[in-house]
Amino acid sequence: MSTDVMIYANDLSKNFGSFRAVDKINFEVRRGEVVGFLGPNGAGKSTTMRILTCFISPTGGTAKINGFDVFDDPLAVRESLGYLPQRAPLYLEMSVLEYLKFAADLRGLDDSTFKKRARSVVEVCGLAQVLGKEIRHLSHGYRQRVGLGQALIHDPPILILDEPTSDLDPNEKAEFLDYIKQIGQERTVLLSTHNLSEVEIACARAIIVSKGRVVADGPLDEIRAKSGRVRYVVSIQESAGTHPYRGKGLPPKKAEVETLLNALDGVRKVTELPTDERAHTYELATDEGVDLRPELFQMIVQKGWVLLELHRDAQTLEDVFRHLTIGDARRNRTLDAGAEDEDEESDEAEEETEADETDDDDSDAKDKD
Amino acid sequence: MATTEELTDDVHEAPDDDAEEREPTDEEGESKSGGKAKKDLPATAQPKVFERRSGAALRNVLTITKREFKAYFDSIVAYVVVCLTLLIVGVWFFFFGFWQVERASVSRLFDGVGSLPILLSFLVLPLLTMRALAEEKRSGTIELLITMPVKDSEVILGKFFAALGLTAVLLLCTLVYPIAMFAWPWHMGALDWGPVTTSYVGLLLMGSAGIAVGMMFSSFTENQIVAFFVTAAVLALLWFIGSIVEFVHGPIGDAISFVSFQTRFLPFSRGLVDTRAVIYFLSITIICLLAAFRSLESRKWS
Repeated sequence: MSTDVMIYANDLSKNFGSFRAVDKINFEVRRGEVVGFLGPNGAGKSTTMRILTCFISPTGGTAKINGFDVFDDPLAVRESLGYLPQRAPLYLEMSVLEYLKFAADLRGLDDSTFKKRARSVVEVCGLAQVLGKEIRHLSHGYRQRVGLGQALIHDPPILILDEPTSDLDPNEKAEFLDYIKQIGQERTVLLSTHNLSEVEIACARAIIVSKGRVVADGPLDEIRAKSGRVRYVVSIQESAGTHPYRGKGLPPKKAEVETLLNALDGVRKVTELPTDERAHTYELATDEGVDLRPELFQMIVQKGWVLLELHRDAQTLEDVFRHLTIGDARRNRTLDAGAEDEDEESDEAEEETEADETDDDDSDAKDKD
Repeated sequence: MATTEELTDDVHEAPDDDAEEREPTDEEGESKSGGKAKKDLPATAQPKVFERRSGAALRNVLTITKREFKAYFDSIVAYVVVCLTLLIVGVWFFFFGFWQVERASVSRLFDGVGSLPILLSFLVLPLLTMRALAEEKRSGTIELLITMPVKDSEVILGKFFAALGLTAVLLLCTLVYPIAMFAWPWHMGALDWGPVTTSYVGLLLMGSAGIAVGMMFSSFTENQIVAFFVTAAVLALLWFIGSIVEFVHGPIGDAISFVSFQTRFLPFSRGLVDTRAVIYFLSITIICLLAAFRSLESRKWS
């Protein structure tokens, strides 16, 4: 392990009773990296973070933070990091300043350091207006800022943030992500989120977990390329409405279009997208490395159809995410999957399913995230 | 008086605190090396050595104590407890004790339905401790507290001393009654301060045992109401079984008088500092705090 590996997890596992929340997770995060920790609800993100912060102990495996083992040196581990748990649980009866002072005291900061750090934290987190207010009177967005503030107060080399942006408004989010990017230059940040666009803004690298396992880990470009699929959207006019139809003969029927599209070389899958009665719109999935656009165009010209739209794009991070974690969504919808506990981690039972065919059919479950 | 008592308490507790902190690391080490085959770690240049800043433990306990103590006053708990106690004790003391017996005495403060030990058991100690860990677990604030560089034992001790401190403040407030009657502004006669002093010492010792019991139950649940009632029931039981001692003879009677807070407190109210009682109350304190500590720690393994 080179010295700049700040977060190191080796075969980390955690069982809650018979349920395996984290299953042999392996990853490393180096100094100067901002890593997005992604996964559907109940995939084991929070559990992993709690292990890394020594709040709970792993059932198996080892983890090191800043070179300190979570078993042997929990205090050293905790001193090296700033942690913001999910939903920022703070003491509601304290004022913001009191809370920051309390955190600083436990971190062993002396008064003058505290003043210096507090000034910068207040600026970064935008807390100047609420310093004297009791936390109970703050909105969730502000509470989250205070939570961030306490995580930053001792200027830690490592930050572990569990859904730090969940209650922020879009402006705050943008500001916050900017800041993370900036401090991430010489620090290490591990942040979990459901929001993939945030990862794309702030992180160069992502780790995607599903069912307690790491299913993807690498730079965002690599992850995007991982599924190796390209998709095309073709839209062909079905009816011109009151306008005269400009194509050859009659507008094509749905079945005709579908057959021809399916017949094209290299097309793996044809999915109809919802449209009105004016057009047939299809999404085509193909293998990487083939460009189907010329063939599509030729075919349409030959038939004399009217092409309304044709575009091609590589899969977005979101598609990859859906593809990689699709098993989770399925499982949440089948009743026989096992006991469904109220605990957020335990809403998945041990059950390994198929996730080979890619359909986005049941991916709408993800959209809620 | 209260403060010196608190200090002695502190001294008694110190060695035990260390024991508390050391044990778990042993256990952790065991489960780690014994539990599973460790993967080969990539060779580390040198294992880093972590040294805690000196005095960190004491400072952390103080910081937590300070925060908890202030929290009592930020919520209304402290005011409710102090006012209710002063009111009930005052009514009991003046209308059912003080004027009833022929001679002026403060013994009513320590004896009977509205007296301090009973109020402590039924109301004050359960109220002061019910939130200690239950509420932190329910609201999740425990996660932020524990992931600071503090030991679990420091969290427990910090909360314990905060409750003990407030109990001491409360007891100081009740001194108003004997002082008002016998020193200033009225002089009802010469008061024998000896038994009063020992009674207060006894109350504080009993208080520390009761607080530990309350914290233990608070650590077992996430529901502060449950913690309140269970603590109140147990403390009341420990007090009232002392009343049946005279009817029960033999080993059972001995056992009852051994565990009852009431029989343990009796010598104090007569002006005696009974070392056996002191040790008994301190043992209860230590055992229950250990139980709370273990229970807090168990979150790691569940």
